[in-house]
Amino acid sequence: MDIVARGIYRINLYRELCKACGLCIAWCPQQVLFPDAQGYPLANAIERCVNCKACERHCPDFAIEVIPPEPESEIADVPSLIHAR
Amino acid sequence: MKLQNSFILREYLRPQAFPTTWCPGCGLGIVMSSIAQAVHFRGLDKNNVAMVSGIGCTGRMSGYADFNTLHTTHGRAPAFATGLKMARPDMSVIVVMGDGDSMSIGGNHLVHAMRRNIGLTAVVVNNAVYGLTGGQSSPTTPVGGRTSTAASGSFERPMNLETLARAAGAAFYARATVNQTAALTRLIERAMGVSGFALVEVVSNCHVLYGRMNELGDASQMMKSMEEQTRRVNPVLLRRAAAPLRLTSAGSPATPVSTATAQGVHQDPRVPRGVIFERHGSRDYSSRYYAMLEQKARARA
Repeated sequence: MDIVARGIYRINLYRELCKACGLCIAWCPQQVLFPDAQGYPLANAIERCVNCKACERHCPDFAIEVIPPEPESEIADVPSLIHAR
Repeated sequence: MKLQNSFILREYLRPQAFPTTWCPGCGLGIVMSSIAQAVHFRGLDKNNVAMVSGIGCTGRMSGYADFNTLHTTHGRAPAFATGLKMARPDMSVIVVMGDGDSMSIGGNHLVHAMRRNIGLTAVVVNNAVYGLTGGQSSPTTPVGGRTSTAASGSFERPMNLETLARAAGAAFYARATVNQTAALTRLIERAMGVSGFALVEVVSNCHVLYGRMNELGDASQMMKSMEEQTRRVNPVLLRRAAAPLRLTSAGSPATPVSTATAQGVHQDPRVPRGVIFERHGSRDYSSRYYAMLEQKARARA
């Protein structure tokens, strides 16, 4: 039997892309994300994350991503991508 | 399987144009993510993929996606895409349209693209309202839905795109919602492999205009209600309808399973999602056309 290791995932939030729509907070089945005063998500309980990627799938603005220890694809540097002109 | 968002952003989108002009919580970003992932999982080169869009909130998508993109006139995206596909039959052409763009303003062009069965992948994002111009009634506004041009509720019958596609001769029709994102990616991926006109209708949310006027709640509530408003079609029954069950002996009559499963379905108010129909043995118009030219040239020689 595999034991699911908790607390090994990271969540990247890109504040420049986020519009505080609250979809990631609404969809998180593990209550990892909480809204701050402006409605932006905060990964306050990151140790509960199970890498279901529900937040990432439902984010219309590509502003959140869950990073497992071995990601399916590369992680790009988003702030430099946005400002590259 | 889900690609990392930053990877999609770098490889298939134009991050300099971000953040998008769409309202917070709009399902169009999810549709764009699904299209990018479908292109990736099909193993296509993004320089060999074209995205054609019309006008409307959905029309903005061609500005954000890093394929060969065409932002065309209102409703004429299928017409431009037909020309592109005829000139470059090797190219995968994705047409993104809204419900008003595809069914009222460009209804004629959509019907004739389906009639020719030209090899396009059309993604029709259906949010039941004209979003960009301020919430007017669209061809798919449900009866009783309040819009800015029907304040006491629309009393027109909404258009049934599924029946229209079936009658006009489209090769593939699937319906997905922005709620079931993995299914949306898979259906677009499958539609891109169809030879002929493949249409994916995506049920999306306009919580800012339609949702507010009809008190449907915010984006997450509208998306969650799609779960109850749609039902998944059974893919096994769909396969059996294509190849009906037979009794053991070869001469015995085929059991028409397709009619049996249709019983009781019409009473179900929920909209089916999944692959609605697929025309087997369909062949793309552009490949048929070039084959015909070759045949003519050979006959002359």
